[in-house]
Amino acid sequence: MSEGADDGHLLACQEVTVAFAGLRALSAVSVTLDRAEIVGLIGPNGAGKTTLVNAMSGFAPIDHGSIRLGGTEISTLSPERRAHRGLARTFQHGRLFGDLSARENVELGAIAVGCSAREARRRTHALLEEIGLLALAASPASELSHGDQQRVSVARAVVAEPSVLLLDEPAAGLPAESLGELASLVEHARSVRGAGIIVIDHNVEFVLGLSDRVVVLDHGEVLTEGTPSHVRSHAGVAAAYFGTIGTDDPGALTVQAP
Amino acid sequence: MTRSRLRLAAELLGPLALVGVVALVAAHLSTSDQTDAINVLVTATIVVGLYVFIGNSGVISFGQISFAAVGAFAAGIYTTPVSTRQTTMPDLFGFLGRPVLTNLESLLLAAGLGALFALLVGLALMRLSGLAAGIATFAVLEITYNILANWEKIGPGPTTLASVPVTTGVGQATIGCAVAVVVAFAYQRSRSCRLLRASRADALAARGIGVSIVRHRLGAFVLSGAICGFAGALYVHSLGSINVTEVYLALTFSTLAMLVVGGSQSLWGATLGGILLGILSSFLTNAENGTTVFGLSFTLPNGLSSIIFAILFVGALMLFPRGLTRNREFLAKALGERPARVGVVLGSGGKPGDGSVTGDGSDGTPAAATTAHVTAVADPEP
Repeated sequence: MSEGADDGHLLACQEVTVAFAGLRALSAVSVTLDRAEIVGLIGPNGAGKTTLVNAMSGFAPIDHGSIRLGGTEISTLSPERRAHRGLARTFQHGRLFGDLSARENVELGAIAVGCSAREARRRTHALLEEIGLLALAASPASELSHGDQQRVSVARAVVAEPSVLLLDEPAAGLPAESLGELASLVEHARSVRGAGIIVIDHNVEFVLGLSDRVVVLDHGEVLTEGTPSHVRSHAGVAAAYFGTIGTDDPGALTVQAP
Repeated sequence: MTRSRLRLAAELLGPLALVGVVALVAAHLSTSDQTDAINVLVTATIVVGLYVFIGNSGVISFGQISFAAVGAFAAGIYTTPVSTRQTTMPDLFGFLGRPVLTNLESLLLAAGLGALFALLVGLALMRLSGLAAGIATFAVLEITYNILANWEKIGPGPTTLASVPVTTGVGQATIGCAVAVVVAFAYQRSRSCRLLRASRADALAARGIGVSIVRHRLGAFVLSGAICGFAGALYVHSLGSINVTEVYLALTFSTLAMLVVGGSQSLWGATLGGILLGILSSFLTNAENGTTVFGLSFTLPNGLSSIIFAILFVGALMLFPRGLTRNREFLAKALGERPARVGVVLGSGGKPGDGSVTGDGSDGTPAAATTAHVTAVADPEP
């Protein structure tokens, strides 16, 4: 993928506006993502986080603005074309292929973007081993626990070795002790392939701990963006989440360093 | 041989064995009963054709019998002697006047035309799913029927095309059905079909990982068209005649019923449904003309066979909503990675167990975790 435009950003959304039936879900949102960067996307319910990921991945047509991947405009491409160009995503609640096995789910993530069956098997085995799911590889995905489904769904996206990985609430419903495994899976995607990664999650601690940079959305606009510590200290963020009461409770967003 | 290879072998050999059993039984039947057996095999071939598209894509189609119709008429016309064509169908286009094809050539032509017709239709329709797909494919059936029934430049119109050489005997029907099974099996192992099945499970997620659903659906539709066209040729060559009403609504719904009762999402289900319900259907039809079972002669009133067939169809679906095979391939459960079925090793330490799946806790492993390990041990793949 050639880079050149957009100051070399891997993924660049400029002034992206998405409206549903006249209601603006996103208003002129600009977000960039670089290689080997993890960007957290947080904001209260209805802020437009998932809509932004849908716009990037092709599931929500944009009304204005541009989305460039490696300098190439992709906003008119179908989701499947974008996937072939190295943009992978997960969905809320996993959306696994329920009657297929966990292994088959992950393998298809590679096969769909043109991997040989053999290579897909190799990558899948390695990934399932890494996330400790080899034991359940043959189980139908619908019979896995919610947390395992979440991890298989991330593996199904990672296995394609994408240059951009969009994770929509990968930690939802995961027990605290398996957040580490998830984080290492995300780190793996970044370090091995230099993927740029955008993470949405309601678990703000998880996102802040994982991200190099955080973008806060509120009412379809970028409220602020910066390092995790910048976001932690930003009064407006707590206000957006908790209303004005939240600003009286700075502890709500404090965390120990990861 | 590993367990997964065994399962794969069973997936192909189960349906083939069933076809073989029908052939063996048919070889020992009287000539008139052989006709019924041949019809069962030809019908099962159509059901396998339906399965290739409907089963793998999860999209309903009422149009596949159109491809069988085109195959049947093409094969019938092109194997009829030229002089007969001139007298029975004087209005035929010149290109249908000759040549005279051999049996095998006509089978291949029918498969090719079925595929071509399916390609043209599919290019227009493959974006549709659900109700829209049902209605649109039904429209294709209607259009095909009305053209064939009325346009005498391309066929016999409403009259019966008779004096087609009867070249499909038990042997050819068996081989034909087996070929369809092998083709369907090979297809469902393919990359394209695996991705299509993923889209059947979750179309949105499939697009998200890069599956071009329309393209893979079209592939299945064309292959299904080829098998149905081929089966149409077997049909006309087994009876020696064809009327357009025979490849219309009744055949559409009976073959769909067979697919659904068998289990629409497995090749085993398609084959089993096609053969079991095919046998049942021809038995009931014969009973309307008087039949003898275990020395007992009886005749069913006209129309009762369809009613009984329909009641059994509903009953089967109430008992087995996912079909007699529960959408599983042959022996898939027995050869599957089920804890209860395998030589169990409990716990991560590989301690030999007693086959219990609940976990006896002797190694301190909770039951759920134990089950997981058992599954892993049963899994032969890397």
